[in-house]
Amino acid sequence: MDWKNIAGPVVMNVELASVLHQTACGAIAAAGFGVLFNVGFRVLPWCAASGAVALAVRSCCLGLGWNLEGASFAAALTVSAAVQLVRRRAGISQDVLDAVGCIPMIPGSFAAKAIIGLFALTTGAVVNESQTLITAVQYTLRVMFTTGAIGTGLAIPTLLLRARTDH
Amino acid sequence: MMEEHSITQQIQAKEKLAFDDQRSVSSLESLAGVTLDVGRMLMEAGASAGSVQRIVDKVALGLGAERVELRIGYGSLAVTVGIGAADITRMRRAGELGVNQRLIQGLWDLGKRVTRRELTIAQTRVELTRLASEMPQHSPWVVSIAVGVACAAFGRLLGVDWYGTGPVFLSATVGQFVRRELLRSHVNVFICAALVSFLCSVMSGLGARWVGSNTIITTMISSILLLVPGVPAVNAQSDILEGHPTLGSARAVTVAMALIFIAAGLWIGKISLDLWL
Repeated sequence: MDWKNIAGPVVMNVELASVLHQTACGAIAAAGFGVLFNVGFRVLPWCAASGAVALAVRSCCLGLGWNLEGASFAAALTVSAAVQLVRRRAGISQDVLDAVGCIPMIPGSFAAKAIIGLFALTTGAVVNESQTLITAVQYTLRVMFTTGAIGTGLAIPTLLLRARTDH
Repeated sequence: MMEEHSITQQIQAKEKLAFDDQRSVSSLESLAGVTLDVGRMLMEAGASAGSVQRIVDKVALGLGAERVELRIGYGSLAVTVGIGAADITRMRRAGELGVNQRLIQGLWDLGKRVTRRELTIAQTRVELTRLASEMPQHSPWVVSIAVGVACAAFGRLLGVDWYGTGPVFLSATVGQFVRRELLRSHVNVFICAALVSFLCSVMSGLGARWVGSNTIITTMISSILLLVPGVPAVNAQSDILEGHPTLGSARAVTVAMALIFIAAGLWIGKISLDLWL
């Protein structure tokens, strides 16, 4: 099997400019929400870093052809593992720090679209009922699976570390 | 004579036991109070159930308890602490749940100091009061502007064009300020979410149309993302995964309700803009 040819076109899909853009936006969004969550100025760079890592990993995985749920899971897992490594050295509590990093990946826009689609179904003037319903259900499922993937990805390193320290 | 002496000894022993029990119950009372306050403050600051459990266990054991059992609910906490043969169970109501990382950090550090036996129960109580009253907060304008910038960055992640980022920034900044004022006036948190969602979506929709953005709907959605309860959504999952399904489910239902109210505000905003323009 020619592994070089298999890897070639896949790697081409990951555009550096797009990854950098997503990474920068993820860092800004995480830092902004860090301020909202009363994160101290000393910890804000860590929030920005966790947001940047999350979006960089997710963008790379999406570029490699993964679906949104899988990419979000990988990103959350990476952020949570990184926070576990860093927090003891930096003396930062884990709560909020990893969650803030994953906030830019929470599918809030999908959730809004899903609920609006369901609202639209209840009005009398629905143009294409079945299509509206399918789209709303698709968005709902994506919200559920993506949020589930983020939550699970964040929890796994914590659970593994606790199992290790307990035994 | 010997019998009388024996009876007197028995009475003295019983009195001593009763005195010891009273003393241990009194110290258990203050121990349970401090422990519950640590748990309550952690819950109100947005910690996950696992973290609340770990820090409360550390504090209670560090202050001399031999046994700790904690039950964490969405609106209340109950703790049983025991020393020797004596046990005491106390319950406390949790206030409105928010997110305050500095408070979590402060309580985390306090837990470490108590574990190292640096503080007594009274000193821990003083530290808790200090944390509750002197915790620094960012100024409202700094928070509003930071939220505006964050929502604009969110917008870029969702595909809002550069023209649309200005209206997202402005409407999210104003929205955060209005949200703060409404919550300070004790407006219901869900009603507040719907009102702010309506305000932000109308402002950003009008702004996006005025500046000539091609992504008006995405601009409107981006401006309301400050309202999406991200931390409770993540906590709901970690609570269920860490063995607290009741609390996790309660959080998940609250998140779902918040999303419905946010979407309702956005929907009414969109319909209003369609009617006006």
